[in-house]
Amino acid sequence: MTSVRRTQETDGGTPRPPRLRPPAHRVSPRAVAHWIIEYGLVWGLGFGLAWGVAAWVEGADWSAVPGWLSERVWWLPILVGAEGLLMVTVAPVWRYRVHRWEVSADVVYTRTGWFSREWLLVPVGRIQTVDTRQGLIERMLGLASIEINTASHAGSSRVEGLPVDVATRLAERLAHRAHDLRDDAT
Amino acid sequence: MTDGAARARRLHPLTFVVGATRELIALLAAGATGLVVGGLSTAFYFTLVGLAFGFLFHVTTWATFTYTLYPDRIELRRSLIGRSVKTIPLDRIRGVDINATFPHRLLGLAIVHIDAGADGGEGELNAVSRQEAERLRKVLLTRSAAAPPAGTPPPRRTLARMRPRWYLYAPLSGAYLLTPFALAGSALGTLYNLSDDLGLVTRERLADVGHEVVGLPTLGVIVLVVLFVLAMPVMSVIVFAVVNWDFTVLARDGSVVAERGRLSRRSVSLERRRIRGVELADNPFERVAGVVRLTALVTGLGDAAHRGRLLPAAPRGFADSLAVSVLGPLPSALIPHPKAARGRRVLRAVGPPLGVALIALLAGQPWVVYGCLVLAVLAVPLGLDRYRQLGHATDAERLTVRSGSLRRHQVVVEHGAVIGWRVRRTLFQRRLGLATLIVAVGAGEGAYPAIDMAERDAVALAARITPEWVLPFVEGREEG
Repeated sequence: MTSVRRTQETDGGTPRPPRLRPPAHRVSPRAVAHWIIEYGLVWGLGFGLAWGVAAWVEGADWSAVPGWLSERVWWLPILVGAEGLLMVTVAPVWRYRVHRWEVSADVVYTRTGWFSREWLLVPVGRIQTVDTRQGLIERMLGLASIEINTASHAGSSRVEGLPVDVATRLAERLAHRAHDLRDDAT
Repeated sequence: MTDGAARARRLHPLTFVVGATRELIALLAAGATGLVVGGLSTAFYFTLVGLAFGFLFHVTTWATFTYTLYPDRIELRRSLIGRSVKTIPLDRIRGVDINATFPHRLLGLAIVHIDAGADGGEGELNAVSRQEAERLRKVLLTRSAAAPPAGTPPPRRTLARMRPRWYLYAPLSGAYLLTPFALAGSALGTLYNLSDDLGLVTRERLADVGHEVVGLPTLGVIVLVVLFVLAMPVMSVIVFAVVNWDFTVLARDGSVVAERGRLSRRSVSLERRRIRGVELADNPFERVAGVVRLTALVTGLGDAAHRGRLLPAAPRGFADSLAVSVLGPLPSALIPHPKAARGRRVLRAVGPPLGVALIALLAGQPWVVYGCLVLAVLAVPLGLDRYRQLGHATDAERLTVRSGSLRRHQVVVEHGAVIGWRVRRTLFQRRLGLATLIVAVGAGEGAYPAIDMAERDAVALAARITPEWVLPFVEGREEG
């Protein structure tokens, strides 16, 4: 119960209701390349699979498949391809404009997402573990992501696309600080 | 008892009897059917051998298992094949359940289940005597291995006790209505397997049964079905009463204890300082009847939905007063969410059936289209009700959020239990000036959303509850 503050009546004092400002730092611009490659691989694979399924259904000519389905089976790869194209061209740039992070006043503040955005505020004192991760693509691009875990899945977050040195320093700092501040509220 | 702090103890000697009960029952059943059919089948001898092995196994398990209570930890030692020692630090223990199945109760035994959250794991003592179980619970939860001074009964206070009349609420909750089907299914399955094993099921007999069922006049079948449907509420009341018999909530040594059950009496201890909130849940039928289920939100409790249960069904006012005595005063009237949220709720409810209808239309399946359209029309009042149920409120110490219609739940959480804030806004929410504020809590389900609040209210609420985390990131506030 250490962190409970008695309420200060903010509604009476301020004429303007509060609004969150964006976090201070952007992620590395190379993150765009990362997302493009990642989405490209996943959606390319999906497109290939959809194409294969469509060709298979058309060629097999089963009686079990109703006519209305086999006539329109080529819609599947077209839809998958269109969405994949959208994801590869639009989403990475949009994401780069949204993704931001900041650590100050012992609070980790992040903004992620693109179509739907999420702002996350987690005090360092409630962090249980901090991991840094590097996938294959991230390694090629010199990027890393850090993962912050708390006792609740909703309070856990992942900041992607940080330069490696920034990520390592940040993770170390957070882990030290979390150790110092750790309170057993959970 | 006082110098027994670090003495290794064994479980109760009668433990293996309880352990072998299942084998014993199987043997009795096999013997009885053997007598009925005339002549013991091979299954009988198999069961006999099984029973012997079972006894041997249970006796060795008993002989090789010890537990030792130290001032700061409890060690469970097992040395059957490999050695294993499980150490649970006392300050990690979050709850101690005492459970007794019917055979346990006959022999005066109880199972002690120790729950120590994610870092400590859990341990089970199956079984010890009832007095030992009570002693362990007291010692484990008060974190000192000193035995209580003899003669002074532990102070206990009844917080709530279920009235028999409330068993009639059982049919209102869908889960208990389905129990007759589950029971009938498992009973039939067991019967079939057992008689098949014993060679009772032959092709002719099956055919006979089949003929009898098919041969029944339509009227007979209808009567049977109607009887079964009528039996559903009755059965649900019976099952509910057996499970929740004499449901009592007690306050004892800094913990809240919930006891329930007829055939097997179950008692769950929740440490009071780990109770960080409560959840009040109901469905539309229960809402009409003014009935609600109460669950405690406890940090690090496994299987929280069942074990945190404080009232299975009770009138609203009664549940509220229990919530107050367990947690403290609840925030007053909920603030409804902005009108813009209504359209979103309705659209969300109507969307899925309309989507399916569109696909069915493209596929040329008119009947599916009609069905989905009917569903979509029915979904409109559902969406409106979902909007009506949205709400949030906070006072100096606790906040509450409510959502859902078919399963409405209102959660009350202490401010100190909040471990983070997540604000989610989709493109559509941004255009409507709405935001979903997700309260991250290290107890219960971990996250409780306040769906479609006005964007500014969402930030204001978070800022009011934890100003030191939120105000540094609020626009135009850096200077002040």
